[in-house]
Amino acid sequence: MKQMVRLGLILAAYATVACVGLAFVYTGTQQVITERQRADLEQSLKDLFPQGDQFKEITGAFSSSDPQVQFKNQYLILQGDEPLGVAVRAVGSSYGGPITVLVGVTREGTISGVKILENKDTPGLGANAANPSYFVDRRSGITFYGQFKGKSVQDKFQVKEDVVAITASTITSKAVTTVVKVASQAAYAWLTSEGGNTK
Amino acid sequence: MKRYLTIFKNGLVRENPLLMLMIGLCSSLAVTTAAANGVGMGLSMTFVLLMSEIVISSFRKLIPDSIRIPVFIIVIAAFTTVIDYLLKAYFPDLSRAMGVFIPLIVVNCIIMGRVEGFASKRPIPEVIADALGMGLGYTWVLLGISMIRELLGNGTIFNIRIMPESYQPIIFFILSPGGFLVFALFISFNLFLKSRLKNGEEECK
Repeated sequence: MKQMVRLGLILAAYATVACVGLAFVYTGTQQVITERQRADLEQSLKDLFPQGDQFKEITGAFSSSDPQVQFKNQYLILQGDEPLGVAVRAVGSSYGGPITVLVGVTREGTISGVKILENKDTPGLGANAANPSYFVDRRSGITFYGQFKGKSVQDKFQVKEDVVAITASTITSKAVTTVVKVASQAAYAWLTSEGGNTK
Repeated sequence: MKRYLTIFKNGLVRENPLLMLMIGLCSSLAVTTAAANGVGMGLSMTFVLLMSEIVISSFRKLIPDSIRIPVFIIVIAAFTTVIDYLLKAYFPDLSRAMGVFIPLIVVNCIIMGRVEGFASKRPIPEVIADALGMGLGYTWVLLGISMIRELLGNGTIFNIRIMPESYQPIIFFILSPGGFLVFALFISFNLFLKSRLKNGEEECK
């Protein structure tokens, strides 16, 4: 019994020292980490809405209609007081696990851009979804994720019909397309019903 | 001095953790798809190994035998978390590329093995030599494997294009079977090195 308490106390002492040390490192780095994450996010949103000068997080404003697709964060992009559109960070399931996509939708119901944030699919095949030098149309230099830009939310979003698939990666192509479709339709529905009016 | 050099050199070839002891393979095969990842993982691992070995060696008389494994894990986990935070703050791309394998350094058997088998019994200077040798032995293998895999599988090294534009990447090398193949070649190369070293030493005698 005595021995057990002694060992317990020794272990507690080591754990305490480790925790105090980690607390210092945490306070030292956490600010940089959150700042960098914010800067990253702002850069991504800026890529989708170059005119946007303000971003407001509206996570939870609308929800996904497809159980396969989850909305993680939602942002309202404003230019001055005028809402430009909505960006949704959505997660779908693909060949190699979850795939995270940022989808931007304008008030007019067109897709302002798509960014693949995280993708664990096969390098050289499915991973080409996020590759800026992989072109679905070599002549015009359109990338896989770039082909969504300018599409209307009312489009069919069918791979091999109005969406060009990545060679030998149908699952990835379909996963991205589904996420874009679900996210953009939900975002547009919200924009036309209430989001476009709230200031 | 010579003793420390011997301990240091031990980790490079003769007792190379990856090629001879063959421990800690899972994460090393998974992260070596690009040269930058290989170096990042190797250096992170060396840092954790060095710091844990130093701390455990200096407290080795204050660690009761029956709870030594939990204490080792606390020490290793603390340093792993430190490197995880630092990478996230200052090298976000590297941290993203290596994902879960940085936190998993905690349970990497190379560190556990060295701490249990070496650091908990030896004085600090020897332990530093051992950690640097093992760490460097780990890093050079990762760097070598990842350079070959990136070159053949993507046509680049450190993201700089080496192969001509017309080169069709052999995706096989980026995927796990390619990792095993390159790894096996490294093992045979290391055995060759080891046999040469042995001959050299015998000639010296």
